[in-house]
Amino acid sequence: MHYLTDPFQYQFIQRAIVAAVIIGVLCAALGTFVVLRRMAVVGHALTHSALPGLVIAYLMGASLFAGALIATVLTALGIGFLARDENVYEDTLVGMVPNIMFAFGILLISTTKSFRDLFSMLFGNILGVTDVDLHLIMLISAVSLIVLFLFYKELKLFSVDPNYAKTIGMPVKFMHYGILLFLSFTVVVGIQAVGTVLTNALLVIPVAAARLLTDRLGVMMVLSCIFAVLSAIGGIYLSYYFGSASGASIVMFAALIFAVAWVYKFIYDYKAK
Amino acid sequence: MSRLWRDPAVAVIFVGGGNDNDLLKIYRKTCLTNAIIFNMKFPYCHHRHSTPDPQAPALEIQGLGVSYSSEGKFALRDFDISVPAGSALALVGPNGAGKSTLFKAICGLLPIRAGSIRVFGHPLDACHHRVVYLPQRSEIDWYFPISVLDLVVMGRYVYLGWFNRPGRRDIEIARHALKEMNVLDLAHRQISKLSGGQQQRVLIARALAQNADLLLLDEPLNAVDVTTRQTVAEVLHKIKAQGKTVIVATHYYAQEEGRYDKAVYLKDGQKCII
Repeated sequence: MHYLTDPFQYQFIQRAIVAAVIIGVLCAALGTFVVLRRMAVVGHALTHSALPGLVIAYLMGASLFAGALIATVLTALGIGFLARDENVYEDTLVGMVPNIMFAFGILLISTTKSFRDLFSMLFGNILGVTDVDLHLIMLISAVSLIVLFLFYKELKLFSVDPNYAKTIGMPVKFMHYGILLFLSFTVVVGIQAVGTVLTNALLVIPVAAARLLTDRLGVMMVLSCIFAVLSAIGGIYLSYYFGSASGASIVMFAALIFAVAWVYKFIYDYKAK
Repeated sequence: MSRLWRDPAVAVIFVGGGNDNDLLKIYRKTCLTNAIIFNMKFPYCHHRHSTPDPQAPALEIQGLGVSYSSEGKFALRDFDISVPAGSALALVGPNGAGKSTLFKAICGLLPIRAGSIRVFGHPLDACHHRVVYLPQRSEIDWYFPISVLDLVVMGRYVYLGWFNRPGRRDIEIARHALKEMNVLDLAHRQISKLSGGQQQRVLIARALAQNADLLLLDEPLNAVDVTTRQTVAEVLHKIKAQGKTVIVATHYYAQEEGRYDKAVYLKDGQKCII
């Protein structure tokens, strides 16, 4: 039993666990709509685009949160704007823009010669969460979850049948940008835990695992939240006992949950036949 | 205390959704002289929903031009039509003739480049709730994790607006629509586990749940089984008997000519006369 309770004597572990639970819930709840709206690739694009924002903020001594947020929001709006020209396909942009932003970020980093910071930006450092970070994470998560709750009904319709949503007068374009905006918020929060490279994994993997196990949207959201929180906490324990990188451990734990869910589904389907 | 409850100086009542008639009923029920009723309804479009003008035709289109991109060629041009309320119109033409384009323009899915569309005497913005478009089945994400009943309840959203959740009455209406389409037994099934004909019936049930006065049905009989075809025909007949206006885009006009008051032929985005 003391294997489970031991890490709790350290304050930085307590903070990390609290942050992990909040980030997990937020990523999974929003990730549900990201996956169902087939926007997983956009999430990938936004996570990578945060890097130059992080680096510039770091060089200027400004808030890393603000830097990442500005970079992701600008990228999200930029992709939306450029995609209005029908000759530029949106999926091409989504494949192209993050590479450019990521390369720009690496270019900036290479001028600083500090690779320790590079590592935590790319792969996250949830064990290094400060009190200020924690408050910011709580604020962003609270706002995002309240918005998600208020517009749940509309998001559901918008995801299953966007054309019908439009015919009854819903501002679908506005809603699409709204999802992108909150996706940016979530990405920025997730970067703290698993870094720019892996944040998309936290948005997508728990949801994909939950989708295997249920056909109900509500149940799916709850399940993916549980999976995300489990993998975040599990990753922290792995990291504590084996000294592994926290971000990568969290993602590997999520992958493990997905694998278990897949095997369960496979056996269940096999028996049903 | 109880006297105060029965006869307060001023009562403030919040009502979620409901139209003007519902509000009036609530007002009368309270028997209060000084009741202030706040209608907590936030419709999806900027305009308030207007009641249909009984004198105006159900649909009036003048010189309509529609294209899919802002500079592209017109998918529909110089189109005029006036459909009187309570009639059934068949829209006949080969694939790519512009039938779906016309429907999408009427219900606001495509921008209008020329001409005007009026629905029950109002611009579309004010009459979203009175028009329903039955899309072709392929336009819906059938793998989305919701049940049939959930999908049909979505037909009530236009009356709920932002923030209000569907109530018992909305679910009752949705179940009634499912019953009318003979698919009530599927109410709790996941939508990915439906056959083509069942999908079509569920979509029509959603359109019925919206209780619109102008129904635009895009190929409702395309690639469905015989039972579905019969059910759809019966329901269309019933809808018409209720005084609603139906426009159906169809391939099967020759077999069902008797069902429509009039037919309009479309070819290459233009009305043509045979």
